[in-house]
Amino acid sequence: MNRDPFWRALAPDALASRSWDDEFVVYNDATGNTHHLSVLGRAVMTMLLSHPSGIALTALVLGIADDAGTAADDELVEAVERTLAHLAELRLAAPVLA
Amino acid sequence: MRIRLGPVAAEIRSPFGVVASALALLYAEHHVLATDDFADFRVAVEPPFGVRRFVAPQALFKFDGSVRFRPLPAAQAFPLLEWGLNWCVTTHCHQYLIIHSAVLERHGRALLLPAPPGSGKSTLCAALVARGWRLLSDELALIELDGKRVVPMPRPISLKNRSIDTIARFWPDAAIGDIVPDTLKGSVAHVRPPGDSVHRALEYPAPGWVVLPRYAHGVATELAPLPKCEAFMRLVDSAFNYSVHGRAGFEALAALVDASDCRAFTYGGALDEAVGVFDRFAAS
Repeated sequence: MNRDPFWRALAPDALASRSWDDEFVVYNDATGNTHHLSVLGRAVMTMLLSHPSGIALTALVLGIADDAGTAADDELVEAVERTLAHLAELRLAAPVLA
Repeated sequence: MRIRLGPVAAEIRSPFGVVASALALLYAEHHVLATDDFADFRVAVEPPFGVRRFVAPQALFKFDGSVRFRPLPAAQAFPLLEWGLNWCVTTHCHQYLIIHSAVLERHGRALLLPAPPGSGKSTLCAALVARGWRLLSDELALIELDGKRVVPMPRPISLKNRSIDTIARFWPDAAIGDIVPDTLKGSVAHVRPPGDSVHRALEYPAPGWVVLPRYAHGVATELAPLPKCEAFMRLVDSAFNYSVHGRAGFEALAALVDASDCRAFTYGGALDEAVGVFDRFAAS
């Protein structure tokens, strides 16, 4: 099992987004759906979009922690993993298969 | 008759006296077109053929000669026409992003009041119009696809149930049509839009405010900040043709929200107080 999986944004060219007050709305042309993401959802999506070929979970968590000025602790790791799973359900993100 | 309804023209045919009298009262300020002028929509409200002309008479809404909805009692012929015209706009005017929302204007900026039925949207809209706000629509916000202008389509304001008496007391000079009971929405009546609103239908204001209204009996009047993302998602949910436009619809709504101050408004029926809140908000 890969303990440091890579993640990427799905079809980034199909996405349009706006950010207000630290929150984020994103439209996915591939599904026709629009989603309202939380502060963490925004941070994860922003990080994924800036790494089109994918980014490892550890690097993703460290980047988010650095941007937010917080610790990359287990709690943050779990929150990011939950967020990634949610983004995968929305077809906004997917793990990069080895 | 052919009549101009903001950016579109409609040909309306009906043998029903209730339709003719309602049109004469409620569209008195609208520009009637020549019979050979172009009409975007050709609609009719007519009785069906056969025995139904005489027993429990009914009314049918026709678009381009085809029946579009189930018949309603003939007494509901005018509300049926209004609902049918709304259907024409929401299913055909895809040059706009169309949102289920009342729209008014003050100081050159548009106020959108997107809300589901029962939220007091039309009551609040009528109260604001009564106190001088310009009516763009009580039902349909037509947004140009760059999100920068809101297109007026001033038509009669539809009131339901208790709001009919409420507005009749609040706006004694209002021209209110007959009360039609027992419709799917309860009792309905329509208010004639002011001549100023009708005559200025070619003045397209920029978006200014998005306010989500909510009426609840007895609650205090309050205008509270609303995160723009929440306002955006409410507008998505309230749009008739958002999915038709795809990314262009998203960009139009995003530009609209970018340009708007967003609020949530609760009120318990104190209309003078509610109008005062909006007057101060628009002036700030």
